Amino acid sequence: MNKRERRRTAVIFAVIALIFMLAAIFTGGGGTEEEPIQSVMRDAVLHDLNKVSLFGLMDVNPGLLAGFIVSGFLILLALICRIFIIPKFKPVPGKIQLVLETIVGLFDGMAKGNSKINKFLGAYIFAAGAYIFTGTLFELFGVQAVTTAGRSISLPAPLSDINGAIMMGCLSYLVIMSGGIAGNGIKGIGKTLKEYSLPISLSFRLFGALLSGALVTELVYYYSALSYVLPVLVGVLFTLLHALIQAYVLTMLTSLFYGQVSDNTPKPPREKKHRRKSSKANAAA
Amino acid sequence: MTGIPLNIDWQQILLHLFNFTILFGALYILLYKPVKNYMEQREKHYADMDKAAEDNLRAAEESKTAYADKVRAFDEETRAERTKLNKELEASRERQIAAAKADAEKIVSDARIEANREKEEIIASAQKEITDMVTGAMEKLTLEQSASDAFDQFLDAAEAREA
Repeated sequence: MNKRERRRTAVIFAVIALIFMLAAIFTGGGGTEEEPIQSVMRDAVLHDLNKVSLFGLMDVNPGLLAGFIVSGFLILLALICRIFIIPKFKPVPGKIQLVLETIVGLFDGMAKGNSKINKFLGAYIFAAGAYIFTGTLFELFGVQAVTTAGRSISLPAPLSDINGAIMMGCLSYLVIMSGGIAGNGIKGIGKTLKEYSLPISLSFRLFGALLSGALVTELVYYYSALSYVLPVLVGVLFTLLHALIQAYVLTMLTSLFYGQVSDNTPKPPREKKHRRKSSKANAAA
Repeated sequence: MTGIPLNIDWQQILLHLFNFTILFGALYILLYKPVKNYMEQREKHYADMDKAAEDNLRAAEESKTAYADKVRAFDEETRAERTKLNKELEASRERQIAAAKADAEKIVSDARIEANREKEEIIASAQKEITDMVTGAMEKLTLEQSASDAFDQFLDAAEAREA
């Protein structure tokens, strides 16, 4: 493509974008019912207005439905990998094999690096990391659902729902406790209970991080004037970034605390008293 | 559940837990375990290869050391054998020299005895010849001159010779 053709393509692209922007601005506000931003933001935090029906059984927060969809997608992906990719693994890996091995190796290495008892931990942080990362990216796709009130909403990240975040935080804490029991028996429970704030901090860290992403995205998309160019940064880049960061943070913290409570090596004798004694002896001398 | 802040719903927490448990099980069985098993098998395969190569290298080193020991032992054995053979050769040579010397002395002694004997025989023969010559000459003289003179002369000559 030469310089002239490139310039022409850029002009066409700009004109189309301008047409879309103007159309959106001048057609905005035409809907029958518009939710005020305060209500949208409040609902993103509390999930008290917009509920979705879970297969017609009960009304749940949209995050739960998103969680089921994300899990279904991940299981389908894992099934495809298991049937079509893993049997064709070679000693010298191809591109897809390399990606799979890198991901599994990353979590396995993280578990091995932090604890001697790491068989379950590796599998858990792999699943948690995959769920957090994919769940966070899920909000980018804007999958639509209809609320029980008849409104159309885009499904949020599963962990921006407080219930999902509490589940993940508490489950991580239980996994950490299981590591304590595996490594130190009853003493391990005591060691884990010492970190009593951990389930709250893990839960609310996830909830806060993902909710803030969801709120900023909601805010940006609420006003059509902000819906051009800016979502590339706040919608895509920030979501990608905090998907990576949150997956890494939770898995790293879980494996770190797991290693700490499962560690059963005896502590070295304290040197403080000896030092004091020796300093006193030196002083006496 | 309206009394709990932030609309926390235990039922939904359990549903999230149910969802994640299924996901965990599926990911573990379908993805994590097979990939990890494959990686471990490959690691084991390469570790075995590495170990086999190390074993071969160690065996080669041991063979090399054994060969060097054998070469050293053979050298020492050869050196000892050579020393022993040199000593035997020296002894044999000395024996041969001694035997040769003894032979030579015997030959010389025999030669000396033979020479003496031959000398004596020659002298005896010469004496006899001289005697015969003298006798012959005397007889000639006697025949040519007078017998008495010749006889006297002969006797004088014989006496002179005896003296």
